Amino acid sequence: MLEISDIFVSFQGTKVLNGISCTIATGETVGVIGPNGSGKTTFFNCISGFAPSDSGAISLRGERVDHLDPHLRAQRGLGRVFQNFGIFREMSLLENIQVALESRRERAPGLFPWSKRTRDIREQSMTFLKEVRLEKKANDKAGSLSGGQMRLLEIVRTLALGADLFLLDEPTAGVSPRMKEDIARSIKNLQTLGKTVLIIEHDITFIQKFCDRIIVLEEGQVVLDGTPEQVRSDVRLQEIYFGRDEQPTSA
Amino acid sequence: MTSILEIITSEYGVHLAILVSLYLILAQSLNLTFGLGQLFNLAHVASYAVGAYATALLSTDYGATFGVCVASSVTLSGVFALLLGVISLRLSTDYFAIGTLAFSSVISALLINWKSVTHGVLGVPGIPRPELFGIDFYDNSNFLVLIGIVALATQVLYYLLYTSPFGRSLRALAEFERAAAALGKNTCRTRNIAFCVSSASAGLAGSFFAYYLNYIDPSSFALGEMVFILTIVIVGSPGSFWGVIGATAFLVLLPEPLRFLDISSAYLGPMRQLLHALILFAVVWWKRDKLFPQRRTV
Repeated sequence: MLEISDIFVSFQGTKVLNGISCTIATGETVGVIGPNGSGKTTFFNCISGFAPSDSGAISLRGERVDHLDPHLRAQRGLGRVFQNFGIFREMSLLENIQVALESRRERAPGLFPWSKRTRDIREQSMTFLKEVRLEKKANDKAGSLSGGQMRLLEIVRTLALGADLFLLDEPTAGVSPRMKEDIARSIKNLQTLGKTVLIIEHDITFIQKFCDRIIVLEEGQVVLDGTPEQVRSDVRLQEIYFGRDEQPTSA
Repeated sequence: MTSILEIITSEYGVHLAILVSLYLILAQSLNLTFGLGQLFNLAHVASYAVGAYATALLSTDYGATFGVCVASSVTLSGVFALLLGVISLRLSTDYFAIGTLAFSSVISALLINWKSVTHGVLGVPGIPRPELFGIDFYDNSNFLVLIGIVALATQVLYYLLYTSPFGRSLRALAEFERAAAALGKNTCRTRNIAFCVSSASAGLAGSFFAYYLNYIDPSSFALGEMVFILTIVIVGSPGSFWGVIGATAFLVLLPEPLRFLDISSAYLGPMRQLLHALILFAVVWWKRDKLFPQRRTV
């Protein structure tokens, strides 16, 4: 599904990604972890087109996409859920979903509010909202939702876009424990639908529930790549998060 | 009661209704870019001027028909916006405002100094009113019907635009551009289209303005006019379709009672500007936290 080879990204002379390479198979769920400043969000920005790479290649289903603008990558099935809530707060929940549905290439959007196509899109939007149990708030402004509800809305909106590959940037950040369960259910639903998911998350206990693999980044490089069990038991993970032990020097 | 009815049906009432119709087109079209798209577009009056001069010069110097003049005004203003948009829309919000202001200044300078074409500060006199289906549009009541139909059609078009997928895309990118792009929206193209449609509508208003007054000169398209249209959109609440309609009627008609006071005409113009400025200050202060939704970035 996604092939990343030797990606370098730098900002004002500072290298943020230092030759990242990895392959994500269709239907796979992969966690991306690493300490603050390790380049996780830049990695996602680079895949979705918001951070141009200095060199390297990104292929989606075999097609090179690294030269494409973000909207063209989105139209090819790349969905992004932002760390700081990418919903449109001034729009209603229904409109948030409509915006995504209207971007789909296979269906022409309705031009008039009373047209059948517009009504169909509204009905489909309601169906998506029902999936995350937000249909009663369909006409409320999205800004009135709680943090967890905003996340659910953003995930279901990306689903409405028709994305096959989901990039979820810290979906449980600032979310109550109860809502965390709802978000976990949403991610499991994506897996059931056969979607490919990449999740940035600090809580390794949370992501190991549904991740097939975990990639660990440090200083813009992949330092660990394996199953959750392999990564958890690897001594290098402890070293990355808690520092390397000073070796006693013999007198 | 009788006197109000007399005013409405009088030549003066018809004149006011024509003014409201003109400003409805101007304000609603600015609302598309400034309100819905949050583009600080200060070139709106320049587009208005391009439209007005296109009609004025084509009808007086070349004897062009009504249809040719209106179509040329709309097209020229739209093309100007397209050229300006290619350069300016790549700029960030603040620089876009400066870019459009610079464009307005260039147009203003051209109107004054390119005398062989624009007739300079003397302006273009003798613009003939249109003749359609044998109807005499020199009669202001007939002209009101014509511009009223155009203004109504424009409002319907803008209502449909606001509630269309295009309108939603524009609102989305105004609030969170990256999130809109992540949903497959071509943000640059959407802005360009909005800018062109808005500018072309200003050109349409300019065309009717030239026809109505029969005479135009550069003073009609000064910065003060831009501020007035901006005031209408801000008072009506940026992005609000009905708000801008209400604010247009309110702000165009509000200073009119001043005419009936025993004030010298030398003071009347400045008083009107002062009144608009005070209203603008008051509304900006009152709505300082909620005038525009906060722009968000990653």
